[in-house]
Amino acid sequence: MSGKYDLLSEQGLRLDGRRPHELRRIKCKLGVFEQPDGSAYMEQGNTKVLAAVYGPHQAKGNQTESVINCQYSQATFSTAERKNRPRGDRKSLEFKLYLQQALSAAIKSELYPRSQIDIYVEVLQDDGANYAVALNAATLALIDAGICLNEFIVACTASLSKSNIPLTDISQFEEVSGGPKLTVAALPTAEKIAFLEMSERFHIDHLETVIETAMAGCREIRDILEAAVKEHLLHMGSASDFAKVG
Amino acid sequence: MSTNAAIDLALDRVDWRDLAAQTEEQPRVYTPGEVLMPEAGFMRGHGTFVEDENIKSSVAGVIQKVNKLISVRPLKSRYVGEIGDVVVARVSEVQQKRWRVDTNSRLDSILLLSSVNLPGGELRRRSAEDEQMMRRYLDEGDLISAEVQNIFEEGSLSLYTRSLKYGKLSQGILVKVFPALVKRRKMHFHNLPCGASVILGNNGYIWISPTKGQEEEGGEGGFAQNLNEHVPRADREVIARLRNSILALAKCKLMIYDTSIQYAYEESLRYEAHELLQQNAIYDIGQQTQGRLRDADE
Amino acid sequence: MAYVALSEAEKTYILHGVEDDFRCDGRSRRDYRPMDLETGLVSNASGSARLRLANTDILVGVKTEIDVPNPLTPEFGKLEFFVDCSANATPEFEGRGGSDLAQELILSLQNAYESPLAFNYRTLCLIPGQQCWKLYIDILILECGGNLHDAVSLAAKAALFNTKLPRVTATMLDAGITDLIISDNPYDCTRIGIETVPLLVTVCKIGDYVLVDPSAEEEVCSTVSMVVSVSMRNGQAFLSGTHLTGGGAMHRDTMRNCLELGLAIGEHLDRLLTKMLNLEQQRVGLKRPQIVGFLK
Repeated sequence: MSGKYDLLSEQGLRLDGRRPHELRRIKCKLGVFEQPDGSAYMEQGNTKVLAAVYGPHQAKGNQTESVINCQYSQATFSTAERKNRPRGDRKSLEFKLYLQQALSAAIKSELYPRSQIDIYVEVLQDDGANYAVALNAATLALIDAGICLNEFIVACTASLSKSNIPLTDISQFEEVSGGPKLTVAALPTAEKIAFLEMSERFHIDHLETVIETAMAGCREIRDILEAAVKEHLLHMGSASDFAKVG
Repeated sequence: MSTNAAIDLALDRVDWRDLAAQTEEQPRVYTPGEVLMPEAGFMRGHGTFVEDENIKSSVAGVIQKVNKLISVRPLKSRYVGEIGDVVVARVSEVQQKRWRVDTNSRLDSILLLSSVNLPGGELRRRSAEDEQMMRRYLDEGDLISAEVQNIFEEGSLSLYTRSLKYGKLSQGILVKVFPALVKRRKMHFHNLPCGASVILGNNGYIWISPTKGQEEEGGEGGFAQNLNEHVPRADREVIARLRNSILALAKCKLMIYDTSIQYAYEESLRYEAHELLQQNAIYDIGQQTQGRLRDADE
Repeated sequence: MAYVALSEAEKTYILHGVEDDFRCDGRSRRDYRPMDLETGLVSNASGSARLRLANTDILVGVKTEIDVPNPLTPEFGKLEFFVDCSANATPEFEGRGGSDLAQELILSLQNAYESPLAFNYRTLCLIPGQQCWKLYIDILILECGGNLHDAVSLAAKAALFNTKLPRVTATMLDAGITDLIISDNPYDCTRIGIETVPLLVTVCKIGDYVLVDPSAEEEVCSTVSMVVSVSMRNGQAFLSGTHLTGGGAMHRDTMRNCLELGLAIGEHLDRLLTKMLNLEQQRVGLKRPQIVGFLK
């Protein structure tokens, strides 16, 4: 609410020409690498993330529950100012925990006792909403690996312009221009929120609206990802005419 | 000094999706969380779960209906073993009275000492706790062919090698592919007409080796290894070509079984063995093999 | 390197294959697996490249900064290498798991680039003794399929080829202080000459023979390898550094074989890389690169 700039022009357009509820362009691909059990690449505007999944495989130690292990890393060339360390700093450790939290809500861990699932994300280009895009890429990688999920888990960011108009999918410039930022990770069909984080203050009157804006963004992203997964499967499976196994 | 080296530009990268069929009927594909059907009257199998009286999919794949059992198979996943499957596995640890083996599953598989056929029944006469004795037969890193005998409660597989056709694998090459690409058949051991043998493990591990002569079969219970034997060049060429052909099939997402391997091998003869590593050759073989398989089906 | 388990029988098969000059995938001891190259795919970097060698996948970004030259070499700019082994390549690289390997690669590259005959540091000088360019060459290993040194050096050289340094003009201010004006125009830039930039060739000893471009399985069968760094000058191949890796020992005659092989292969690769970089530039043009990246 106390931003330096108004993120919305008089014509109702944002800095990159988008309308308030418009998502950035999403491009994605499943099965980018051969070594991991599952992998995916995701672009949301200019934010680009690679995700790789290893597992499920035997977990070390004797615990009976499943282990979900994540790592969040950002390439040193991903930001305009060079980043000295790809990971190990506070932000990466925070995001690692947030990823684990959100993905644990989606993965059917009861099917994987004693097994471990490793999910690694690598941000190649940072243009805002890193965590959200990383989570979306991770969902695709998990699906690529054939890991059982309750449903898609998707994240989206939202903010509020000076004139209290909610904005969906915040870019880097909008992020640093001041103004509050909300990130929501949700299971859209079940309408459940798995993770929520906000920075700066939202007036309680506006909070509901901004959360709903982010949820709407999640639903839209989910539809886009679902279409991409179906297209990928149809291409992959039809090469062998979906020959039945068994 | 001549060397073969080539750098392709990403601009010229092959689009593997071009191999997709233009079939009139596209099967219905389901994604995690999607409703398959109401629960009433059906049983749920792999890749599904029940919620709000509906059967929903938990993976992305094609639906499979066997009588009243509904399941969804993802096109790519870790190996989910079933009793009677043939697998190729690698020993990862030697423990007391058993070996831990890697079968590309979500848990390590187990090979019990009692499930192993040993020459002369030697080990059974001695105290079975002797780890040294166990290592003489199977050490960490060794490869075996085995059958899934049982599944433990938590989901790990119990293997056995008591039949003479199973046991420690000798010289050859291991190739790894997605388990879903290996067709479930009655026969997994093939002596191919091109002059080498393959074992198509249900777990996606494929073993290619020189065809053994008749006199070498049996007797030792599958644990003898002749490491001094030098596999002749002609056999090596067949094996290398088979390796590259099978990887080409996998890259093009075609099913892997004796017929498809044979067709791919024949199509590969146009190229030198090392040329089969190039994406254009792989695409070509995939396309030709796909065509022949489709013609054979009609 | 990422550990691959092999049985004694498999190692024997590989060993005999190397003797017969017919490796497991049909290559001779002097052949490379197919490679795939793209430059200019990271927009936040001044130069970038991605190189795939079989399933080894390397992404390099070059970032630039104005810095003060080292007082011992006032007319030279600076280069700094950084290698990150992403956990995407293997779970063993999680956290600090890949740091030993990363350190080894950084030292190899520093060693190879150290000589001014290999890299012309003068071209990075802006005002002698006062200001120079510092290039950070950041290497990200996305997938490991053996032969990292070669792939990393090829990708680094390609990224340097792709690097655009904004044009800098100096103006004299009062009291002898020089001010630098960096051009804003993205098309007004200088390129870095890469003719002599070195490439690393790993020559791997398996049994009594040496080979290049070892796969991950072949690396396990080898006790010692020699990394040869090759720099071209006026059509001739020069040695710009070498070291042994792998923890074994090598006979002097074998070492000579390795150096000869390394230099010959290095020369060949250099020519090949330069040709493909020029070809890509012709096809894509300097203005609007169409990025293929990870989407195909």
